[in-house]
Amino acid sequence: MLMQLQYGQIVQYIPDFFAGALVALELSVLAFLIGVILGLVGAATITYGNMPARIAVRCYVSFFTNTPQLVQIFFLFFALPEFGILLSPYQAVLLGMTLNAAGYLTEIQRAGFQSIQRAEVEAAETLGFSRVQTVWYVIAPHIIRALYPALSNHYILMTLGTSMAAIFGVEELTGRALNANAISFRSFEIFSVTALIYIGLTIVASVILYALGRYFFRVKVKVF
Amino acid sequence: MDAIGRLFEEAPRFYTYWNLIFLGEAALNTLMVSFFGCLIGYLIGFIIATLRVALINPVGPLRWFLITYTEMVRRIPFLVLLLCVFFAFQLSGAEVTLFIIATTAVALRMSALAAENIRAGYDAINPRQWEAAISMNMTPISTLFRVILPQAWKIILPPSTIHTVSMIKETSLISQIGFLELTFAARMLNQRGFSALICYGTVLVLYFIISWSFARAGKAAEKKLVHAPRSPNAQNIETPRVVPQ
Repeated sequence: MLMQLQYGQIVQYIPDFFAGALVALELSVLAFLIGVILGLVGAATITYGNMPARIAVRCYVSFFTNTPQLVQIFFLFFALPEFGILLSPYQAVLLGMTLNAAGYLTEIQRAGFQSIQRAEVEAAETLGFSRVQTVWYVIAPHIIRALYPALSNHYILMTLGTSMAAIFGVEELTGRALNANAISFRSFEIFSVTALIYIGLTIVASVILYALGRYFFRVKVKVF
Repeated sequence: MDAIGRLFEEAPRFYTYWNLIFLGEAALNTLMVSFFGCLIGYLIGFIIATLRVALINPVGPLRWFLITYTEMVRRIPFLVLLLCVFFAFQLSGAEVTLFIIATTAVALRMSALAAENIRAGYDAINPRQWEAAISMNMTPISTLFRVILPQAWKIILPPSTIHTVSMIKETSLISQIGFLELTFAARMLNQRGFSALICYGTVLVLYFIISWSFARAGKAAEKKLVHAPRSPNAQNIETPRVVPQ
């Protein structure tokens, strides 16, 4: 039997969905920022660190980039209590997303570190730049310009990744959609509207990232 | 460290014949869904990209539809896409297995990713090559298969490996509709009373083996094929080197 599509009942949930979208945004921004810092440490370790540290970071990266994020969060959520560490679902998802992002962002930022040439640093030294000035005026702009497209691309992927927080009961966009589904049973309508909100969310994020890249770093990122 | 001790106590009880068969079946299901989904996805993606590039303008509405399709599907989380497909099948009243639903969702997502990849490969080829081939009286189809693709697929291969591996990892979300694959198997074993550490740990290792070996195979293929000479004859038509006496 063919059922009828009824979008009229969905309208009441839409403000609720937008509140959920804010939670998703918060999760992705937090995980991304912490991940970038961890990734910076990891990339510096791989480039300049000693042998054992380098091997440890490489193992970390290949483990976290070769296993699904969902299973990693399941592992953290259910296995850490056995060691006496109790995490709320939100904390577990944030931790899982951060650790996962750190793996990928290490790999991305390593490329930036390897693109610096010794001659650039020497040139800055010849001009009488201090260490801090060299990093701030010569190395950082260079690295950021090379990495900005890859980083913004990964941020968009992480925004999509927040949807798996719903599985652990976090009330973000997909979680609210699942709740609304449990009340109203208009499943297809609810999830198609959720999909549209995600599309809008990522388009807005891409446009903002494009504008930031143009304004601050003079980088052109592909928006569509 | 108490948990680690319990892990060793529990291991003989966990790695029994039936549990291993169960995990093997789940791993097979993961691989089957990924394989068929990616295969269909690449076929659809190839058609989309070729239509978008080859039919340069004449079909305006079709072109806009294809662009909207790829852009929209790429911006939907896989979980939401999966639920949309699941409930769309339910709404249509068609009685299909969970395997077909999962494969459809994977194929939809893969088609958008592949279309974008393949289009990037086409874009890297100089458009004058089309003109040159057409002026040599080749048909568009034979131009595509004999001139454009042999060059383009070397550019397409590396990102395709990455996307396929990430798709295999994303199939873990299919556990949410109740299809027996690796993540679902871990959840069931966990509910049967085994500790989460051993269930999810084992499944993580299995995922690692699958995706790492796939990524390795992709890299090996890249090394062997992408950096190889263009054709066996290419070595013979090298310009003769003039050695200064």
